Amino acid sequence: MSNSSSSSNELFGYVAEFSSASDLYHAAEKIRDAGFRRWDVHTPFPVHGMDHAMGLGKSWLSAIVLGGGATGSILALFLQFFTQVTLYPTVVQDKPTNLFTIPAFFPVTFELTILLSAFATVFGLLALIMLPRWNHPLFNSPLFAKFSNDGFILVIEARDPKFKREKTRELLTEIGAGKIEEVNY
Amino acid sequence: MAGLKDADDYRDGERFKIPALLQLVCLAVGVGGTLLFFLIRILKPEAAGAMGYSWLFAVVFFLSLAVGGLFWTLLHHASNSGWGTVIRRLMENLANVIPVMMIVALPLLFSFVGFRDKLWEWFPKREAALVEATKNAEEEKDAYIASRTAEVEKARAAVDAAKKDLADVASPSPGHRAHLERRISDLEKKSAKLEKEDLSPEGAKQTLVDKNFLESAALLFNKRGYLNESFWWIRQIFYVVALGGIAFILRRWSVKLDQDGDPKWFRWMRRWSCGFLPFFATAWTFLVFDWLMALDYTWFSTMWGVYLFAGAALNSMGFLIILLTLLRKAGYLKNVVTMEHYHLMGKLMHAFVIFWAYIAFSQFFLIWYANITEETKFYLTRNTDFWNVYTITFLVIGHFFIPFVVLLVRQVKKLPLVVSCVAGWNLLMHALDIYWIIIPERGPSLTADSGHIAMTIPGAWIYDILAFVAVGGLFAFALLRILASASLFPCRDPRLDESLNVVN
Repeated sequence: MSNSSSSSNELFGYVAEFSSASDLYHAAEKIRDAGFRRWDVHTPFPVHGMDHAMGLGKSWLSAIVLGGGATGSILALFLQFFTQVTLYPTVVQDKPTNLFTIPAFFPVTFELTILLSAFATVFGLLALIMLPRWNHPLFNSPLFAKFSNDGFILVIEARDPKFKREKTRELLTEIGAGKIEEVNY
Repeated sequence: MAGLKDADDYRDGERFKIPALLQLVCLAVGVGGTLLFFLIRILKPEAAGAMGYSWLFAVVFFLSLAVGGLFWTLLHHASNSGWGTVIRRLMENLANVIPVMMIVALPLLFSFVGFRDKLWEWFPKREAALVEATKNAEEEKDAYIASRTAEVEKARAAVDAAKKDLADVASPSPGHRAHLERRISDLEKKSAKLEKEDLSPEGAKQTLVDKNFLESAALLFNKRGYLNESFWWIRQIFYVVALGGIAFILRRWSVKLDQDGDPKWFRWMRRWSCGFLPFFATAWTFLVFDWLMALDYTWFSTMWGVYLFAGAALNSMGFLIILLTLLRKAGYLKNVVTMEHYHLMGKLMHAFVIFWAYIAFSQFFLIWYANITEETKFYLTRNTDFWNVYTITFLVIGHFFIPFVVLLVRQVKKLPLVVSCVAGWNLLMHALDIYWIIIPERGPSLTADSGHIAMTIPGAWIYDILAFVAVGGLFAFALLRILASASLFPCRDPRLDESLNVVN
């Protein structure tokens, strides 16, 4: 059953197909319990609760976004206070030039908070998932391509400390994988 | 997937048994407090004005929670949601307290109780202005008719004179003739205009009443199409029918679905909710215009309705979270509701903390920036004396910053006890928000004629607390009765399966 269409012979990992979202969910629970770290699942649609089945912790993305948002707020308030209150006190519409002029600065603060939060979300996500990149070994696998149509795919990478060429293959068969494919770099 | 729940196992629902002692306490507090409140009202007639504000504060606070429950029910149906089916009955139950709260609000609406005219000064002011205008019109009427009639006759005479001028000229040049004809036509128009006025005794009187009304109370005259007693009563009836009726009918269909499992009820609820939403929005918006914005009829804000709506939606979600936690503590809904539901409700509460702040700030910001006298009035009152510190502490920090930051943490929203504490904090802030809307008007309104305008009425806070406790008792009693009258969740809803197993 195993074939590979890659150029080198170094093993990247196994690609295993499951017949349904439910099977994949249970398989993920078992892989999680077996203690694997370097593995992932790919499905045509989001499967609710999969993060739990995979034992994924909380993403760091929210912390990055919080950092981005806080930077935006502070930067906006600083820029406005510094230029319009400290450097060159600007009287607009008889408003004071002290702390109590802060409502006038809220729209810009709000916008910059949102903007930098959005940037932090997008670029933080790209950084966390290590994109962009030119290619990925998984694209060598014809089986993997099915995930965007009707395949429920589980991938275990060879660099996982628990990965053993034969035993991992047996494990995958045992937990109900249909097709299993070896993928090389 | 492992542990999926099957809706068929839950088709019998769960019935709530009212703890007898709790019910008794709520009833005693509600009825006892109300009796005491109105006893004081009778024994101390001079406190009537101050007590009206107290009652309004209590009624609006609890009514807003119930109205929020109606909003969440409508939204759940209109958006075809599935996550909240297991808690939808709680929303429906909460919404069904609206009719009870409307009955509790009745003392505010009838002037003989002595609250209405003190709360909404446009009633007595309009009445006084109209009486004065009518009295003066009666006196000025005859002289007015005489002078107007004389003017009409003068105008007619001028037309006749001009016609005679034309006839007297033997052979006018074309230019001269045109000039004279033009003059006749102008004078005829003027005369016709004067003749059009209704100079019968009734007609003349009405003209004079309007004129005097405009001169003595221009604002009330220009707002007379809205601020008049008959239209006001029509609106009050509309609020009861729209809010109470929608709440009643949606829960009725939902309970019928429990009994016969006919999916047509489900379809009806979903379909009709979209049509009900505009009526809900109109009723609540104009209710708060009439009850709260009209506390000062000279002031207006177009964001008023959505401001009160944001507070109602936010805090009724908070109230639902607390209610759910209490019910689960008493042993109900244990298998039905999971931490996922708490998480979802916590997220909605968080969203509405931000929405409330967004609306509250926008309303303030536009008025603050434009700095127009008739608009800034509202915030100037709430910037005077201790209200300044009150606003910043409770509304800016307490109502927004604290819950906003605390609810950012995911784990807070998933722990029932913690999220209930945050919801309790929000409810307290909501009470302080409603207090801030109503009570600052009390001092200036009641002391306006005394020469020295006071910000507060000494000792009136006791009535505020008494009213709050009394209305709270009635609210709790009504809610308990409604909770017990049907299953605690819609046990045969087609969406129950989805809701039982919801993951987010």
